[in-house]
Amino acid sequence: MAAARSAGRTRDIRLAYLLLAPTLLLLLTTLAYPIGWEIWTSFTDLSPLKDGSAEFVGLTNYGRLLGDPEFWRAALVTVVYAIITSVAKLALGLGFALLLARPFRGRALVFLAIFIPWAYPAGVSVIGWYWTLSPPTTTAYAPAMGHLKHLVDGTLGTGAWAFTSIILFNIWRGSSFIGVLLLAGINAIPPELFECALLESKSRWRRFRLVTVPLLRPFLALAVFLSLTGAFADLANVWMLTAGRIVFPVIGTHAYFLAVKAGQYGPASALALTLVPFLLTILLVLFRLFDPPRREAT
Amino acid sequence: MSPRPWWAKLGHGSLILVATVYCLFPIYFMLVQSLKTPEEDVFGNPFIVVNPTLENFQELFEREGEVRGFVGRALRRSYPFLDWLVNTLVVFAGSVTATVVASIAAGYALGRLRPPGFQWWRRAIFATYIVPQTILFIPLYQVVSALGLDDNLLALLLIYPTMALPFCVWMLSGYFQQLPREVEDAALIEGASRAGAFFRIVLPMSRPVLVAAGIFTLGIVASDFMIASVFLLTPHNQTITAGLGTFDVALDELAAVAGVNLLAIPVVTISAVFARGFVRGLTASMVEGA
Repeated sequence: MAAARSAGRTRDIRLAYLLLAPTLLLLLTTLAYPIGWEIWTSFTDLSPLKDGSAEFVGLTNYGRLLGDPEFWRAALVTVVYAIITSVAKLALGLGFALLLARPFRGRALVFLAIFIPWAYPAGVSVIGWYWTLSPPTTTAYAPAMGHLKHLVDGTLGTGAWAFTSIILFNIWRGSSFIGVLLLAGINAIPPELFECALLESKSRWRRFRLVTVPLLRPFLALAVFLSLTGAFADLANVWMLTAGRIVFPVIGTHAYFLAVKAGQYGPASALALTLVPFLLTILLVLFRLFDPPRREAT
Repeated sequence: MSPRPWWAKLGHGSLILVATVYCLFPIYFMLVQSLKTPEEDVFGNPFIVVNPTLENFQELFEREGEVRGFVGRALRRSYPFLDWLVNTLVVFAGSVTATVVASIAAGYALGRLRPPGFQWWRRAIFATYIVPQTILFIPLYQVVSALGLDDNLLALLLIYPTMALPFCVWMLSGYFQQLPREVEDAALIEGASRAGAFFRIVLPMSRPVLVAAGIFTLGIVASDFMIASVFLLTPHNQTITAGLGTFDVALDELAAVAGVNLLAIPVVTISAVFARGFVRGLTASMVEGA
């Protein structure tokens, strides 16, 4: 009997690896080589503009980055961008989720309205946003938008309007997803718990802080994680919404610029990799926040 | 609960109104622009459309290569929009299917069969989510060329799933891990094979989670702009996203906004139909397990 069981277990394990194969194969082809290439290149002076093979230059690229004010500026902008968007998205998303948590007339429709900004394909809505916020001069609303742009740029410096529009777009789309995610989290909380809490405390804020937030923790952690990693690695939105005329570069766009426009693959790789420690830290925090309650449950 | 006072109701109602307007206004605005004639675009009120027309949408489907006339001295070209539409359909449907199938397999393997170190497999796969895509397309281009897939839709079918897989595998493996074993065991005792039990019992009851994985993948795939623009170069091979990126804004603003809507309407409709399932699936995969 024991032998049969262990034979079954061996079969299960073999089946498990077989089922994992497609996923691992996909991830290996599209990630393993590129990441290896990126790490290796960050130690060389590889460039498509240079004849001959790449030379190993050690940590030169990284050293140069640390002494480069442009890098620190891009890093600062990235951090500001990530924090502003994450805080706003979380606040709005939580608001949406709480708003939808209780039944009211027309809730299904309001839910759809909140869901749609995320579902609306961002690959093209970013194009639509760009033209809405910086329309061709012939359109009827171009003067109004022009005024707004000058007002913002005049107060906060050139490029501020473009940067604001990126933030607005990111928040608009992200708060929708976080709202839906947190709604899914609130739905998972058994209603009895709220009823108990209602007996325990009259203060809404206390109930929210002591019951809702801890139970939502895995969902909140995931929301923050997706939001921060998305913002840190953001390239496409910034590039598209500013049409490549970057005044406030983030790490992503700066690396893209170095690689594609300046042809400096080495420094660009090093720059892109500077994000990894931050992202890893965020990931580890997520795992910590995610796992403990699950273990208690089992 | 005691009936709420009028001011609380009013506050609640206005919050709902503000939230709805905030979410829908940009979409409404783009829809309005796409329905305008050039005259109205220049002289009309930007917030409404008085004489809606589908001319911008029709323009997209005109035969390719035809000269559409001049704006000033600039030549307006036509675009192979029909090809883009078909390509987009193929890429989106293919990527979503591939991702859902691969993540069911991997999720079941990690959540139910649990090979040694399955928790670490799960984390490692999820960790690939944080790889910054920034300049990864340069080496990725080498991979794609080595496979002979450059300027080919298959390149996107290879890359898109890997953008959604980490999250989907994480979600599905968590779901299968918490799904009570008895569900399957009952079928196995009845004499069903493992595959039979899986396809006849586990899979049907997991529908919301599969919907959630599918809709999440669609959201990721539809939000990509970079990969599509980098890997698809010939106009005939492009998807709508890549193609719209090549539009000349100053000349074709209305047609482009129509193109945006033409892609968005089906995607939003599909997502909206499955929206409730999406929420239920997220809940199930992360907490309940069933």
